[in-house]
Amino acid sequence: MFISLALFGFSLFYFLSSLHLKMGTPRNMGPGFVPAMLGGLLLASTAFHLIRVYRGRPPEQETKPSPRENLNYWAVAGILACTAAYPLILETVKFVASTFIVGFAMLLLWKPRKPFFSFLIALGMALGCFFLFSRFFGVALPSGFFERLLFRIGA
Amino acid sequence: MWEITQGLLGGFGAALKPLYFFYALAGTILGTITGVLPGLGPLGAMAILLSFTLKMDATAAMILFAGIYYGAMYGGSTTSILLNIPGEAASVVTCIDGYQMAQKGRAGAALAVAAVGSFIAGTISILGLTVVALYLSDIALRFGPAEFLAIGVCGLMFLIRMTGGSLLQSLIMTLIGMALGTVGIDFLTGAERFTYGINELGQGIEFLPVAMGIFGIAEVLLSVQGKEVPKTAQKVSLRELLPTRNEWKRAVPPMFRGSVMGFFMGLVPGPSPIISTFVSYFTEKRLSKHPEEFGHGAIEAVAGPESANNAAVGGAYVPLFALGIPFTPAMAMVLGALMLHGLTPGPNLMKEKADLFWIVIASMYIGNFMLIILNLPLVNVFVNILRVPQRILMPVIVLLCLIGVYSVNASLLDLLLLAIFGLIGYVLRQAGFQVAPLILALVIGPMIETSLRQALKITGGDLAEVVFRPICLSLYVATLLCFAVPLILKWTKRGKG
Repeated sequence: MFISLALFGFSLFYFLSSLHLKMGTPRNMGPGFVPAMLGGLLLASTAFHLIRVYRGRPPEQETKPSPRENLNYWAVAGILACTAAYPLILETVKFVASTFIVGFAMLLLWKPRKPFFSFLIALGMALGCFFLFSRFFGVALPSGFFERLLFRIGA
Repeated sequence: MWEITQGLLGGFGAALKPLYFFYALAGTILGTITGVLPGLGPLGAMAILLSFTLKMDATAAMILFAGIYYGAMYGGSTTSILLNIPGEAASVVTCIDGYQMAQKGRAGAALAVAAVGSFIAGTISILGLTVVALYLSDIALRFGPAEFLAIGVCGLMFLIRMTGGSLLQSLIMTLIGMALGTVGIDFLTGAERFTYGINELGQGIEFLPVAMGIFGIAEVLLSVQGKEVPKTAQKVSLRELLPTRNEWKRAVPPMFRGSVMGFFMGLVPGPSPIISTFVSYFTEKRLSKHPEEFGHGAIEAVAGPESANNAAVGGAYVPLFALGIPFTPAMAMVLGALMLHGLTPGPNLMKEKADLFWIVIASMYIGNFMLIILNLPLVNVFVNILRVPQRILMPVIVLLCLIGVYSVNASLLDLLLLAIFGLIGYVLRQAGFQVAPLILALVIGPMIETSLRQALKITGGDLAEVVFRPICLSLYVATLLCFAVPLILKWTKRGKG
């Protein structure tokens, strides 16, 4: 139900936003013509989906979601948080530190009882990724003093 | 014929250069590893490696991806046979009889038949790809926007029909993908669409963070939510890999049938490698003299489906190379890699960059040969990869996704989009939605819009003239039939019941 509502909300938002764009004519379509058409179709189909779910009749042949018992939602939420946090800290604490922090946090989520082991693995991952991407692939990563030092050592 | 021979010779000459040879080898090994690891299929691997291809030339990227795709198909069979765990979706059918054969002590024979079948299928499908793609690209050179519009619409509609699950849900996913494709500056008028003042969105929503989020991050989230189960597989010695004469006799015809069937199924939009395995399984069961053995270790049930899924890979390359339209999510990744290098596949590319096409074809032959040479003797090594704990593997995948996405545009917005689409992919897949149509629609959607607007401009806004052209009309009728025939059959059955 929540997903159907969210999809309907997105469709409504998209459709209404598309109405602000110039439509044009069939011969000379404006930037809003196709989005409005898509938005209309999307709105109709998500509304239909919402009605079916609301009536308690799941769409035909719908794949059954996996049983939710014993699922590790903490790990899921933690990984998502780490993924979302990475862009926020990357520019501030630079590449190696941010990669280490995110890696360490994720490893702790899986195996909280082995912090030292996780620390070493995370450090290895951060340094490994730095050398792989900056030296091997030549990617310009956000660098501070530590990264520049490492780069020199690697050279 | 001369053109093919000349092209192939040139392709082999270049593909055997150390660098391309290395990428073919790396692709097949990486593909086998991702095929072996449950959850991380060829799509996930391609999504993760998409950004890595930036530092390669386009040909090397194509060679790497072709190797991954083939390798994953083969690697998936290894865990299906030895552990009853399908490494990826196209190996589910192999679990049924492959594992039963392993239980009876014939694991080696099952693995050898799967490998030889994959090799035969790969070779047949590459031959098919060579001939069909060349022929089709010649025809496609005469296509205008109306024809490309029809191909795009037909492709998406077939995908919705063939994806499996609910039609309504697949339609919603397709429309969302197309809607996402409209974000950014309109190419014809220069007007900004759905950017909401964020300058970076002017370039549109990039394919990479969406694909990596939906297939990479979401896959990790789905993997970590369950408990890790320790896996133990039986060892297979080299001596055991040789099937008996009777087993060969029973396996060879299904290999050829599966190869031909798989190639043609690969031409159809949708998850063709998966569908082809089921079609092959049921065909073999129907044709077999011992249908009662199916489900209890019939070698035909390993040979047919394993050949079919590999042949479907070659078939799936045809529409991409000849028309520039990906019909499967994996081909959308290949398209993404080409676009990262500023290349747009299609009939023009096949003429202008013919060398790329022939080198990729030649590398596919080489990759297939490598698979059979390397994978059978190294089967125990690949199975041991399963011992790498998830708690180390999954953070590594997440980090590779994050850094991979960042390395393309150095954009923090792309990283944020990666996290958002990771969550969206996870939630949708948990709810039973198929996300493949979303990805494909994101790629094909802008092409459909461009073709529609160009076609209507040419015809002065006359929609009938756009629809009622011979090729377009045939494609629209085929699309209608694809939806109508199952409905009619359903109603007829209901009427009889």
